[in-house]
Amino acid sequence: MKAKKDGVSLFLSIVTHAAAIITILCLLFIIAYILIRGIPNLTPSLFEWEYTTDNVSMMPSIINTIIVVILTLLIAGPIGIFSAIYLVEYAKRGSKLVKVILLTTETLSGIPSIVYGLFGSLMFVISMGMGLSVFAGSLTLAIMVLPTIMRTTQEALVAVPDSYREGSFGLGAGKLRTIFRIILPSAVPGIMSGIVLSMGRIVGETAALIYTSGTVAQVCTNIFAPGSTLAVHMYRLMSEGLYTEQACAVAVVLLVFVIIMNSLSSYLGRKLAKG
Amino acid sequence: MNKFLKGMLALGLSATALVGCSSGGDDAQSDEGTASGAITVVSREDGSGTRGAFTELMGIEEDGTDNTTSSAQITNSTSVMMTTVEGNSYAIGYISLGSLNDTVKAVTVDGVEATVENVESGEYTVSRPFLVCTTEDISELGQDFMNFIMSDEGQAIVEEEGYIPRETTGAFTSNGASGDLTVGGSSSVTPVMEKLAEAYEEINTGANVSVQQSDSTSGAENTISGVYEIGMCSRDLTEEEQSKGLTPTTIALDGIAVIVNKENAVDNLTTDQIKQIYTGEITDWADISE
Amino acid sequence: MQLRENAMRIVFMLAACFSIVAVFFICFYLFINGLPAIAEIGPLNFLGGMEWRPNNDIYGIFPMIIGSIYVTAGAIVVGVPIGILTAIYMAYFCPKKLYKIIKPAVELLAGIPSIVYGFFGLVVIVPLIQDAFHTSGNTVLAASILLGIMILPTIVSVSEASLQAVPDSYYEGSLALGATHERSVFFVCLKAAKSGVLAGVILGVGRAIGETMAVIMVAGNQAVMPGSLLSGVRTMTANIVLEMSYATGLHREALIATAVVLFVFIMIINLSFSALKRKEAKS
Repeated sequence: MKAKKDGVSLFLSIVTHAAAIITILCLLFIIAYILIRGIPNLTPSLFEWEYTTDNVSMMPSIINTIIVVILTLLIAGPIGIFSAIYLVEYAKRGSKLVKVILLTTETLSGIPSIVYGLFGSLMFVISMGMGLSVFAGSLTLAIMVLPTIMRTTQEALVAVPDSYREGSFGLGAGKLRTIFRIILPSAVPGIMSGIVLSMGRIVGETAALIYTSGTVAQVCTNIFAPGSTLAVHMYRLMSEGLYTEQACAVAVVLLVFVIIMNSLSSYLGRKLAKG
Repeated sequence: MNKFLKGMLALGLSATALVGCSSGGDDAQSDEGTASGAITVVSREDGSGTRGAFTELMGIEEDGTDNTTSSAQITNSTSVMMTTVEGNSYAIGYISLGSLNDTVKAVTVDGVEATVENVESGEYTVSRPFLVCTTEDISELGQDFMNFIMSDEGQAIVEEEGYIPRETTGAFTSNGASGDLTVGGSSSVTPVMEKLAEAYEEINTGANVSVQQSDSTSGAENTISGVYEIGMCSRDLTEEEQSKGLTPTTIALDGIAVIVNKENAVDNLTTDQIKQIYTGEITDWADISE
Repeated sequence: MQLRENAMRIVFMLAACFSIVAVFFICFYLFINGLPAIAEIGPLNFLGGMEWRPNNDIYGIFPMIIGSIYVTAGAIVVGVPIGILTAIYMAYFCPKKLYKIIKPAVELLAGIPSIVYGFFGLVVIVPLIQDAFHTSGNTVLAASILLGIMILPTIVSVSEASLQAVPDSYYEGSLALGATHERSVFFVCLKAAKSGVLAGVILGVGRAIGETMAVIMVAGNQAVMPGSLLSGVRTMTANIVLEMSYATGLHREALIATAVVLFVFIMIINLSFSALKRKEAKS
């Protein structure tokens, strides 16, 4: 039934399997490593409400992380979705403006997070006088995750069959109504998976936040106060070498965050596939 | 299915191989104490307070020129420094005395052990000041906190944390000011400052002190611009900073421990040897063991 | 009614222009703060200078530029073949059951914060290199391997998606012509998915060149030209993070200027990639 394998095919088969095994091993190794180092250090005192130098609780940072995620998505979400709507539903393909927008979006997605951090610190923190604050951090991150939201929304919108649009127009609905009532709802799972992807990126970000939202391990009382997210908290715990064990425990919590986010996004993805 | 089985088999095999590798590595490391081998020099980044003090005291810096060998590894974190030295039998580095633990070995310098007592008595000379800087328009609360830091109670905390206290101003009595106070700056000073703030808040319950960790430079700059009321510095203030109205107060001394791997047979280094290691004149441990 | 339609149209357009504004501001702030330093140091001295001694006001970032290139090249050598092959495995070789485990696992690898990778590299990869070569482990090699692992998920997931998008008829046609499974996959399907795979690689390269927190822990960070795979190296990103906290005056501006150079690098990569894409679309 099958063609007999020649040398080349055999070789290709071997390298492919070898590569897959290397990847899987790396993965297992890293995850096992994090769990082994971290789990023994996960103590209840790490989840107390107040951060003190005795318990180095990560609870304030968890809360800050949630605040930063929400704020960032509030800023980047609408802008990203609206610009995707413009690109898909309004703009003429291949117009100058579209070309420039696509190019700048690509540029944004390629900029290293440290450059975002410097930019955020120069513009928001210093020039605009926000100081190290959660708000400055969220603005910086919003620009950073914008391309992700734009791209996934764009894909989701393009995937909506044209017959939906034609049907809606045919029934006499305006363009705006068609977009908000017909197209967006059927693209929701795709948009959501983009938003979840960005959440993952926000949670894991360190370099861009150190210079913008500060490293204070207290719950930020208002959005103009500084506060560290979980990843920044881990960086801080590591930097003076006093709390390395606790840093490992934070890594486990970060891992759990990522797992939750990924399963959420793949769940949404499946929903999208089912239609 | 056959392919699947083969894949799993290969996976298992390579896993065993990997385990074998890593345990083999452990064997190699458990050699008896190293006495020879190329030295891995680890230093802090340019401008770090720890590095500044270290290079100056060891004579590595001459006439304002830092002669640290360009082949020295650089890190910006105490933790990375310690992990590097912990994992490399041939490494040498230096850290704040307060961060020292038993994963690495602190060598004696000119025969003197790096302890709080020896720094205090002046026998162990490798130390640097922890500063706080303030401006003239410090609030009553800020002044009260400063008084606390320099009091018996405050300096007792400094000593407890492994740093060297300064002369105290006697027992502390609060002036009763309340409100919010922001202290920020050097990451080296932050751990002890957090302890001080917690103790102070217990005495003066109306006060809320938040400690922000950034770095010496932004500590000073933000104090000038009024973002912080008290800035923390782990280096001396520059003339430019002082001319802008900052007054430094030394709240503690921090000893700098010279650390090597636990496997290392060397227990003592002279100032001269350390200087030669860091300037690249001595590159092998064999040249040290007398 | 018409008014609302038009108003919203403008709102959408403004939102779309936001990314242009953002890029403009990023350029503006970086250049305003970085270019004066380059001018003061002298572009040649800055870009081509072999020495970085901020204490003596010598700012040459040539070793760092080379460092970034070395480390990125190393990451490509380590990560790209393994990544593409893994993607091929997942798309064409993998049993269904295993796929259900590998796929989320690769996604997990993509989500792990870089600082965790850095710590992992410092305690696992660095000592391994130390034992193998009896030198210090903080080397170009360590950074390359770590970055290679870090860019794996990007390359795997993008390449896999584009391989999945290749019509089954290609593969079937090739089989029907008598090619083996492997030959069909590599010489027909992979060829068809070329541009998608390339996009994945470019994304990976971008991530490698911009990575900071992980590299800083394993690279050694000596500001000199790396002599070999086993010497330490400082990348441009590491240079910024290492010294930003203490820098003042010209030193600080020189660090921002380093970010400008990094930014220009990324721009060049992106522009050449989109030029490549356009050329492909035409042919």
